[in-house]
Amino acid sequence: MGNIRVIGPREAGKTTYLSALASFGKKDKQFSVTPINDDSKKLLELAENILKGGERLEPTDAQQRVDEIPDYLFLIKGKKGLKNYKIDLNVKDYSGEIFEKLAQNNELDEKTQDYINHCLMKDVSGCLVMLTGWEKGEDRKYKKAFEHLIKLMDSRQRLKNLRLAIVMSKCERGEIWPGRIEPKTDLFSLHLPETKELLEETIPAKNLGFFAVSAFGVLGKNDPRPNRIDEVGRNGRQAVLRDTERWQPYNLLEPLYWLSGV
Amino acid sequence: MGIAYIGDRFVGKTHLALELANPESNYVKVTYPAYNILKSELYSQEKEETISTNEITKIRQLDLQVQLPSGKKNLTLDWIDSSGENWRESWQQQNPQKWQIFLDTLKQSEGILLILSPYREIITVGNPEEFITHQQWCNRFERWGQFFQAQCPKLRHLLLCLNKADLFCDTQKEAKLLGYSPNGSELNWQQRNDHVFKRYFTPIKQQIRELNKNTEINSVRCFITTIKERRLLELPWLYLGTYLGY
Repeated sequence: MGNIRVIGPREAGKTTYLSALASFGKKDKQFSVTPINDDSKKLLELAENILKGGERLEPTDAQQRVDEIPDYLFLIKGKKGLKNYKIDLNVKDYSGEIFEKLAQNNELDEKTQDYINHCLMKDVSGCLVMLTGWEKGEDRKYKKAFEHLIKLMDSRQRLKNLRLAIVMSKCERGEIWPGRIEPKTDLFSLHLPETKELLEETIPAKNLGFFAVSAFGVLGKNDPRPNRIDEVGRNGRQAVLRDTERWQPYNLLEPLYWLSGV
Repeated sequence: MGIAYIGDRFVGKTHLALELANPESNYVKVTYPAYNILKSELYSQEKEETISTNEITKIRQLDLQVQLPSGKKNLTLDWIDSSGENWRESWQQQNPQKWQIFLDTLKQSEGILLILSPYREIITVGNPEEFITHQQWCNRFERWGQFFQAQCPKLRHLLLCLNKADLFCDTQKEAKLLGYSPNGSELNWQQRNDHVFKRYFTPIKQQIRELNKNTEINSVRCFITTIKERRLLELPWLYLGTYLGY
């Protein structure tokens, strides 16, 4: 069983990503993803009822205690030439507040400490860190959060034995879509150079991966417009799915596959 | 889970809830209480109108079954029906304790359906003089906006229901466009909201924008409702059904 934690700032699209994974896992050409338990099946329902209905998911409750976080269990199976390949994943999705508290670099409150302890437990094989900002100023904020996280990893002897998948989410956005093929060079080096440098200096190369994913995707192979509409909401603009019929997420599985350590 | 029906007096809150329980339903079925029992409590056969809600807050259990794209979903809700009386400032001043209890109930609700009456200028059927003017309507909503910002900043869903749609639009035509089907509808929730917002709610667009900006409300969504068109009547509940119970 691969225990994976998903962290990242608010509105990075963490739950939307998992919901899209539950919904689209069957369609992938190389793998199938099956939600196993009630929690992961609920993700599927969220995709069917809310995302496909042109609405956005509610933010993950920042008030919930660490023992209240749902366990999302997925079975990933290879298809075609990868038929013997099979992994069980247990994914937990944390509220964005946790990451933002890391960025503040203050002493952590008790609840956040519980989360961090939970995130850095010995049986956790990797963290999927979902980032979404590429604009000026975001790099410094992310760097601060990682500096704090790295210290905490070190204090718990997890600096050399925890995989980190650094993921740029919502890569359907026109400004970053062309960089999705080589995200390390064309997204992270370009837009988040200080964060990338810090991570490369402190995390062993074999435990560090850079990825780009998109839960909404673009309208088509020959139509690279984002399959999303931005609407005014809390914290500025928020996106919903534009065309359900043409919903095709991008690269959802790669970071999880890599984190599973196969 | 609490869902509150609120609104000024005589906007049709109780009738709207009562008709939801009517067994001639499409995709929202009230499985408890039975329509007949509810009707005997809420409707005066003699006067042929709903009985005014006497208690300031009446909480009833409501069991619903909504049919969603993923299948049927059962929800047990606390339906919080409120009297329109308590929105009068004089009443609030004379009954501070009751007002506080009401506010506390509201703050714990996951969703609020604010039932609004139409304004005079859009009325095409009946006597427009019975309704407040456009300006009064905007002023009244301004106060609603301030109320939600001050009292319910952590509310999850606020549904604005412009009621008595049969008095201001072609409900058949609107229901055909806005109508819901779990097997795929012409419009999605976003498009429905856009349509209703642009057609009926633009006078208060600034206030709605402020609500989105200054509160943690996940969604402020606009609906038109009437007891005379089931497809429109069910929409707010189908919307809530997609979010509740997870």
